Amino acid sequence: MKDDWKAAWQPLIDAVGQDFSGGQRTVGADEVSAATIRRYLEPLEFDCALHYDAEAARAHGYDDIIAPITSIQTFSLPPMWEPGQTIFASAERDAQPAGGALSGFKTPLEPKTTGYFATDYEVEYFRPVTVGDRLHRRGAKLLACLPKETKVGRGAFLTWESEIRNQRDEVVARMRTTWLRYNPPGAEQ
Amino acid sequence: MTGGTFQHSTGHSWEDVEEGDVLPTLHFPITVYRLVMAAGANRDFNAIHHNSEYAKASGAPEMYANNLFLQGMWERTVRDYIGLGGVIRKLSGFRMKVFNTVGTTVVVKAHVLRKWTENGNGCVEFEIRSENVDGVVTVGPGRIIATMPSATAPADSRRARQQENSMDFHSSRR
Repeated sequence: MKDDWKAAWQPLIDAVGQDFSGGQRTVGADEVSAATIRRYLEPLEFDCALHYDAEAARAHGYDDIIAPITSIQTFSLPPMWEPGQTIFASAERDAQPAGGALSGFKTPLEPKTTGYFATDYEVEYFRPVTVGDRLHRRGAKLLACLPKETKVGRGAFLTWESEIRNQRDEVVARMRTTWLRYNPPGAEQ
Repeated sequence: MTGGTFQHSTGHSWEDVEEGDVLPTLHFPITVYRLVMAAGANRDFNAIHHNSEYAKASGAPEMYANNLFLQGMWERTVRDYIGLGGVIRKLSGFRMKVFNTVGTTVVVKAHVLRKWTENGNGCVEFEIRSENVDGVVTVGPGRIIATMPSATAPADSRRARQQENSMDFHSSRR
């Protein structure tokens, strides 16, 4: 049948509304720092003094340099590597490291896929993020699962909701991210 | 200002804004060098964003700009307009429809959709999109909501509002 491959996604479709985080939180690898904010600005050529000049930030009511709002997801990512781990085990040219900080939430309910990328993003910002803050992510609620065949292959659009909080457990932002997980044509579904 | 191009300077006020104002268009040439810098900066190391062969094997035509990099382009476009006193509160409709591939230029365009006041805050909603040089929309069109300081509020009041923003700039919308 033409649409048999979609059946593999049914367990995840049935789980829409469920929070898969188990109450666990994912802590950002590092404190927010002036150095990492500066590096975030560079490829964007983003010249906003709130992000590099503490005096300017204070003059506008902030305690210190603030992070760009679009960088808070970066600051909530876990480390790529931790002491004791081996993530680079192959010398093959395009070998990928084990894990990967920004790959979206995966559950055992979904079929195996090899490709993924984010397609949609929506976020509300509740509090500024300041130098010295340490962010973490909480919650992984599945809002939608839509199997679809696209130009890049067969897979599903998965929408997840989570919160980003600071070290005082204050909600900094609430975001919804949609990922397309798929197998390129010819790959095993 | 309606329909015109607003020349940004820091510190302009909510009263200066008119619905229909067009924000300055920004251009972001996408090179391999820049994509590598972006990956290092925003830590999206998915190889589809810095490895042509890997990207092509995944079904994309080339390596392409990542989500966070593209979001940052929108933020910069709006920040340049709202100035240091503005606060960005919400981003929505950020839908990546077409790959923004290496060797092309991302063109970000935005205009003021509406303005209003809410709990003493001057609010502005922008419609914003990314295009390629052929005018094809690659991201969006989405919306960004921001607040901007009022020129008519006394200085003490503006300062208090800014401090309130810093403490919890979204309390009125929870």
